[in-house]
Amino acid sequence: MSQEETFKKIIDMLVELKDTSELMLDLAYSSVLFNSYELAEEVQVLEDRMDNLHTEFELLVLARCIQPEESKNFLGLIRLGIVTEKIADAAAQISEVVLRGLEPHPVLKLAIKQAEETVAYVPVSKNSMLVGKSFREAQIQEETGMWVLAVRRGDKWIRPKPDTVIEADDIFIASGYAEGVEDLRKLAST
Amino acid sequence: MVRLEKIEYKPVSVRNLLIEMKNISELMIDLAYSAALFNSQLLAEEVIELEQRVDTLAYLLDMSAMLAARSAEDAESLVGASVIAAATDKISDAAADIAIIVLRQIGIHPIVREAFEKVEERLTRVEIKSNSTMIGKRLGQLELAAKMGVDIIAIRRDKEMIVNPKADEVIKKGDIAIARGAPGGIEEFEKLAEGTIHMLED
Repeated sequence: MSQEETFKKIIDMLVELKDTSELMLDLAYSSVLFNSYELAEEVQVLEDRMDNLHTEFELLVLARCIQPEESKNFLGLIRLGIVTEKIADAAAQISEVVLRGLEPHPVLKLAIKQAEETVAYVPVSKNSMLVGKSFREAQIQEETGMWVLAVRRGDKWIRPKPDTVIEADDIFIASGYAEGVEDLRKLAST
Repeated sequence: MVRLEKIEYKPVSVRNLLIEMKNISELMIDLAYSAALFNSQLLAEEVIELEQRVDTLAYLLDMSAMLAARSAEDAESLVGASVIAAATDKISDAAADIAIIVLRQIGIHPIVREAFEKVEERLTRVEIKSNSTMIGKRLGQLELAAKMGVDIIAIRRDKEMIVNPKADEVIKKGDIAIARGAPGGIEEFEKLAEGTIHMLED
């Protein structure tokens, strides 16, 4: 890899570390909110991935021959990587409350979200009108009242952004009122 | 040597403490990344100040949880609140670590900025100047989201930080508003706060 390519890789990995850590937080709080063992486990899986990714990231930074005048800037990079790792650890710690079978105190659920909401896994069929649309165009929240927290694509997790394009076989993790779940399922299947 | 304030028990509900901790820590992460991106000392200082607030809240939460437990069952279900509070505190520490990168002028490689700027949103921190047309108006009335795609995510008023202000919050002169939105909207919002442009008419 050329210096240029290595550098691009470093930045891409940092963006992935940041996105993953924030996704983990969303999922972790949701796991407590819904007392969902499944979501809590997802957080643990992501935590393993974070660990690997972070190590890979640090190795790449170290492998780049750093000029003395750049060293401060690279220290900044390394520190940012550590921060994402810390956030991921905190998310894992939150999900462990669920995994240890401590039925969360009602106070916790109220604190995390103040409404009677539910979480749903909704697969996107290839016939769905959503396929090929970005989240901005899809207007899922406006249509169904459901908020898509995360998208599972193959073995990857994505935190949806307005310009993320929906693909067939994506699985949405969405939260909202129970009535919205059916609407979302319909939207994702036809 | 940092002088730490003594924390005295105040009767606040575990629930409210947890909500505030969660809100502040999430705000801190956003602020901290923005501070790093724009190399903003002001945003970084804001993060450090909030970190102290979260520390205090974590102590208060533990005290409240201890007082609320009357039985083994209570203890089992309240320990979760305590663990989550500790994790939230960790998150705020992580945000403070980013702020320190800025404050110590370690800096972050300029190319990082490019990568993160692909993210469409920007954050700003502006003071509401005396000739801003926003003064005296309720947030709901301003319709910032509809008109310029901007959300006020926090308001600093004197020592207090109002996170996720409600629609009926009235803007005051001297408020420091922290807002999020697309770059174009943010620029417009900054001018609005400074009073160089006035509210768009309906």
